Amino acid sequence: MKTDEVVIRVGGAAGDGVQSAGLIIAKTFTRLGLHVNTYNYYQSIIRGGQSWYQIRASDKKVRSQGDGLDVLIALNKDALERHTNPSINEGGASPLTKDGVAIFDKGLTNFQKYDLDYVEMPLNEIASKHSKNALMKNTVAIGATMASIGIDFETLAGVIRDQFGNKGEVAEQNVNAAREGYEHYKANFKKLPIKLKTSNKRYYLMSGGETLGLGAVNAGLKMYVGYPMTPASSALHYLASHQKDFGIFVKIPEDEISAINMAIGANFAGVRAMTGSSGGGFSLMVEALGMAGMMEVPLVVYESQRAGPSTGLPTKTEQGDLNLVLGASQGDFQRIVLAPRNVEDVFYLTREAFNLAEKYQTPVIVMSDLYVAEHYETVENLDLDFKIDRGKIAEPGMKDYKRYEYTKDGISYRAFPGTAGLTHNEDSDEHNEYGDVVSDAVTDPTLRVESMKKRMKKLDAYIKSMPPTPTYRYEDAEYAVVQWGGTQGSVEEAVDILRERGHKVGALEINRPHPLNPDIGKLLSGKKKIVVVENNYTGQMNKLLRSEFLVKTELVTKYDGESFYPGALADEIEAVLKR
Amino acid sequence: MVTIADYKGKVKPDWCPGCGNFAQLSAISGALADLGIEPKDSVITSGIGCSSNLPEFINLYGFHGLHGRLLPVASAIKWANPKLTVIGYGGDGDGFFEGTQHFYHTAKRNVDITYIVSDNQIFGLTTGQASPTTELGMKTKSTPDGNIEKPLNPLTIALTAGATFVARAFSGDALHLKEVIKKGIQHKGFSFIDVFSPCVTYNKINTYDYFRKRVYKPDTDTKDFNKAYSLAQEWGEKIPIGVLYDVEGPSYETSDPVIAGKALIDIPPVKLTKEHLAEFL
Repeated sequence: MKTDEVVIRVGGAAGDGVQSAGLIIAKTFTRLGLHVNTYNYYQSIIRGGQSWYQIRASDKKVRSQGDGLDVLIALNKDALERHTNPSINEGGASPLTKDGVAIFDKGLTNFQKYDLDYVEMPLNEIASKHSKNALMKNTVAIGATMASIGIDFETLAGVIRDQFGNKGEVAEQNVNAAREGYEHYKANFKKLPIKLKTSNKRYYLMSGGETLGLGAVNAGLKMYVGYPMTPASSALHYLASHQKDFGIFVKIPEDEISAINMAIGANFAGVRAMTGSSGGGFSLMVEALGMAGMMEVPLVVYESQRAGPSTGLPTKTEQGDLNLVLGASQGDFQRIVLAPRNVEDVFYLTREAFNLAEKYQTPVIVMSDLYVAEHYETVENLDLDFKIDRGKIAEPGMKDYKRYEYTKDGISYRAFPGTAGLTHNEDSDEHNEYGDVVSDAVTDPTLRVESMKKRMKKLDAYIKSMPPTPTYRYEDAEYAVVQWGGTQGSVEEAVDILRERGHKVGALEINRPHPLNPDIGKLLSGKKKIVVVENNYTGQMNKLLRSEFLVKTELVTKYDGESFYPGALADEIEAVLKR
Repeated sequence: MVTIADYKGKVKPDWCPGCGNFAQLSAISGALADLGIEPKDSVITSGIGCSSNLPEFINLYGFHGLHGRLLPVASAIKWANPKLTVIGYGGDGDGFFEGTQHFYHTAKRNVDITYIVSDNQIFGLTTGQASPTTELGMKTKSTPDGNIEKPLNPLTIALTAGATFVARAFSGDALHLKEVIKKGIQHKGFSFIDVFSPCVTYNKINTYDYFRKRVYKPDTDTKDFNKAYSLAQEWGEKIPIGVLYDVEGPSYETSDPVIAGKALIDIPPVKLTKEHLAEFL
């Protein structure tokens, strides 16, 4: 058991209040000035099944859900047996450690016992003293949990009051129930050797869906149109719940095809608009994505991956959509793909996406995944200072206006409807500089070539302006571990573990999968081994790196629906290094 | 003063001589001019098909997009900037096959746009296959033994979906067509106009003569849903044209909490401050 961090898991069925209990614990740690990382293991079911919520906290940065399990709150027998079983089958999650504690109601009997500390608490009994609501027992268990790791009760009381609408009767009932659980544990059970160094630091506890919404708002988003689909919905919910504060039009239309066409229509009209979905919905958007490329209408699409193919595992994470996003829509056109590595990265890359879309007048796809979109982690600070750059916009009455003028950089002036003197047609057919169609009466092969070149050279400037590809402990690294998107936390922690074991490894972190920064070629050259880590079966980034940079690589994958756990990942990488 | 000449596009239409789309191009141009709407404030979104090429041939802001998808584009343009007059224009294949769900839901939302369908009861640009409004028994390239699917009725669909303005017109009666379009544009909410537009090349049944013999202009109470529904079902020896239904109802943009009375394009981006982050502490 590590003594400078804690891993707590709440297990139960959907409808048992697992997630709310987990969030109360996470918030309490956040307010104690600790770094927090959470993990929500749930199923596509509203009631029943089995789900759990894990909270990891420390004064040091916690970049993943972590290994180990110190405190288990088991809300039913299944959860108790599942998370204490040494051969737990939860995609890499650890069973309860020998010196940890399992907290559960004493009414749970006849369960499979292991050599562990079982803390049978009168959870229901205490709860019933304070309320008729059966879920109150969760609050009692949270109180006991805080006592088990020696956390001061008052911070928890504050969070509970906030959670249950402050002064009301329900809030006080919950505080009292939690206090009794706290005192009962303290009087009867052991305190774990964990000592968390709390601080006065004020961190934000955020999910990637929320920072996506915030980043978009920071960039001047005016319209979000999307059809509900896990895990893209967390962004939709955040924006919808703030639509009036932010002056953002939020709409669920009849389907994703409508959603993307609406977002394109709004951008055409001069308003920053975005659509979002998971892979299934994005598949429906594919035709319109190419239209935005052809018509040079700026567009930001949020693609939040979940485990496929098809409906797949709706509540599980994966990075299986890279090929889809890179190849979506017929013909050649330019697109920019961004893949934020963590909750904070989502904020900065999303807002940048809007500037890139308008600057280069082409689709920008922000690729996330269920892990990034739905888990909460503490963010130290968000810099809200941002300059909106709308790119080339024509002034009324511009002389000899050509919407698609062949320019040096391939980018021409946009004119919004309502602008005097600049009426024109924007067309999904191939067109000339004015926007007149050249596909019907006369096809001019020379002009076609010019138009293709115009659109395709647009990103030359972007490639030149790309920031260096981020790295971790890379300067003296002999081995490169390459990750992209949301696996950053586990990969960095795996690198730390491997470094402790004496392996000179470092991580190369790709958060801009397309176009790829040419510096990656240099960064990879001369390494003894290149290990690519991906949450998918075929190694989609791995193939991309091989073809782009002609490098020899090794591949480590995980496609069980769960994100990587640092310990297990370190072992897998080590095996590759020794191969 | 705005005149029809202001709407004249620099590209000559490439439709077949005699195509019903010509009358609609001039009726739309004329209607916009008559209403004093400047080309800069007019937008036409279209899909893919012969009729959908129209934005290329008219002087305004055109958006020639994807087959079946003109209504979502039109809706969003209106939401972004309600000062614009937004018209969706396309064919029967475009609107009633791939675009059906958009048609139904845009009508239901009562978005303040005008949707004009050039209904020739055939696929023209793809050289003559059966469309959703092709008559029963008609032989086409895709139905060499005769069409066995009953045609759908766009008017009853629009009425059922909740459209607040439902009309029918005929390219062979250009003046009437223009007047119907004017009423549609002036209507606050979703206005739907199905226009009989003979395809002189691929539809030898529903010709100008066919409609000239049948169309009539009923004197009806356009506030009466049941009357409108009943007229919409008339097909055979007599087919009614004109405005069949025209009622007032709150449009989507006047009911939305964010854009009611405002234009998204005029709302400045919100300046995020630390206060906005307080909920995450």
